[in-house]
Amino acid sequence: MQSKVLKIENETGLHARPATELAKIAMKYPCDIKLIANGKTVDAKSPLMIMSAGIKQRTEIEIKCNGEKEEEAINEIEEAFKNNFGE
Amino acid sequence: MLKGKGISIGIGIGNAKLLKKEEVEITDFKVENKENELKYFKKCLEEVIEDTKNVIEKLSGTEADIMNAYLMLLQDENLYKETEKLIKEDGYNSAYATKIGFEGVEKIFKNMDDEYMKERFSDIEDMKKRVINKIANISELDLSNLPENTILVGKDISTSDTAKLNLKNIVGIIIENGSENSHVSIMARTHEIPAIVGVKDILKEINENNRLAINGETGEIYNNPTQEQIDELKNLQKKLMEEKQDLIKYKDKGSITKDGFKVEVYANIGTPKDMIKAMENGAEGIGLFRSEFLYMDSDSMPTEEEQFNAYKNVLENAKGRQVIIRTLDIGGDKNLKYLNLGKEDNPFLGYRAIRICLKEPEIFKIQLRALYKASNYGKLSIMLPMISSINEIRKAKEIIEEVKKELKLEGTKFDNNVKVGIMIEIPSAAIMAEELAKECDFFSIGTNDLIQYTLAVERGNEKISGLYTKFNPAVIKLIKMTIEGAHKSNIFCGMCGEAACDERFIPILIGLGLDEFSMNPTRILSARKMIRKLDKKECEKIVEEILKMNTSEEIKEKLTEYVKKIN
Repeated sequence: MQSKVLKIENETGLHARPATELAKIAMKYPCDIKLIANGKTVDAKSPLMIMSAGIKQRTEIEIKCNGEKEEEAINEIEEAFKNNFGE
Repeated sequence: MLKGKGISIGIGIGNAKLLKKEEVEITDFKVENKENELKYFKKCLEEVIEDTKNVIEKLSGTEADIMNAYLMLLQDENLYKETEKLIKEDGYNSAYATKIGFEGVEKIFKNMDDEYMKERFSDIEDMKKRVINKIANISELDLSNLPENTILVGKDISTSDTAKLNLKNIVGIIIENGSENSHVSIMARTHEIPAIVGVKDILKEINENNRLAINGETGEIYNNPTQEQIDELKNLQKKLMEEKQDLIKYKDKGSITKDGFKVEVYANIGTPKDMIKAMENGAEGIGLFRSEFLYMDSDSMPTEEEQFNAYKNVLENAKGRQVIIRTLDIGGDKNLKYLNLGKEDNPFLGYRAIRICLKEPEIFKIQLRALYKASNYGKLSIMLPMISSINEIRKAKEIIEEVKKELKLEGTKFDNNVKVGIMIEIPSAAIMAEELAKECDFFSIGTNDLIQYTLAVERGNEKISGLYTKFNPAVIKLIKMTIEGAHKSNIFCGMCGEAACDERFIPILIGLGLDEFSMNPTRILSARKMIRKLDKKECEKIVEEILKMNTSEEIKEKLTEYVKKIN
């Protein structure tokens, strides 16, 4: 299993666009990907569930990838956070 | 007259088109054939998804992005899991199952204390209505073919309806609910369509095809306006257009008086995003970048890297223009959750700004490191707020030297020519300006606090608001001392308070020799226009006259008259 703690720099947090971007990346990978924030664990392949976690700017988020291609998955997600989801 | 909140500037005159939707009656009856019902639900959902894809094909840019995010939510199985269960296991009819299932999801968003997330509630609600309409076989509103001069009036305009709008014939939008951040509001501003939100019971007040006139700045709505009202608004519209056209001419012109005295007009900004507005309005630099946004609305102290990224961003976008970044200015009315400053009886005279930074150099050093690292990307100046004595400058500079030494030891490059200046916002600093000028590289006068501290008048207190004025002769004398003090040491003096963009005050500032005027980006062009109309020698004479006056009223009257004369 791979795990990393990340932060969203976007002023409005993980709102609609970055949340869907994150889900899009997660969906590309066969492994199980979970997002943990504010004490909630949600499926990172579901934009709806990501948004429902209500993640604000600079909230600490833990991403856990488990299964096939877990390393590639976590690296791509980390990269996306670093680039602020292109915003 | 009806009134709401104007969120997209402009005047719209046209006919009302009401966005009322048929309500489907939903009951909780159960079906015999669960399999078929589930198939029917899936087919309806699929059709709504197809409709959405067709809408997206015609969109581009931000609007396409917004609808693509909407589409992904619509395709998320977590959205309809509960609905499917209600059909498959309990045998409810698909309309009822959709209502209950989707409402469960709506609830999650409804209770969030976040404007952006709350908007998702409207999205889910919209999806629910569309799926139910599909199930009940009700066709969607046709918004692609509206008559000319339409003013849309609705309770809410959903994301999907917004995307379908043919904007060509829309001259105004009025919404009962909604906020500045609704998709329809963002769209209205992008396309410069006048819009008003938050008008209670608007659908009861206005009938289909009523003649309407709206002012998207003030939020005023005239239902069946008189010819007189229409003429008045049309005149206003013409004036607004002319002013805009006229001001845009000044974007690339110099800020220079008729007799050749050159000054600079800069922008005050609060976040890196504001740079767009600053550049659009022809800012010659950034006179005040408030670094507080990095510290406020955050749960912890921003890291060096977070700060570095923000500063670098602004410096790069300034494309070689000077950028003055003010170091942390909290305390007073601005507190931080994670930095327990404690309650004070007199916060404006208490532990704030540079006082915190000097007492807790660890916080200050993180910011300074980020600033110096960012200095490689543009022309940076650092400004220290709330300086009241020379010792504070000396101490701050010692810390700055320590940081520079650290960076050198680490082998980190930085610009050695970064200017370090101070804000003049405390009377003691203005009085000692001549001495302070010998120890720093520039001044910037913060008029809001300077007025408050000089006159002992709180800005927000209505009972004494008449006493709070920049025209007070004592305030003007302090400004004069500050500018003269700076010039004796050959350093420049700017101003980043509200007074710098008041056209009645600009003549005094020109007369006194102020070098740099910094203001809200939207005020830059009109200030530059004013400066170009002035003659420095004439302004100097006015200053002489004003310095002989003893009351704020006399001074204000004199300046108001003068501005009228030259306009």
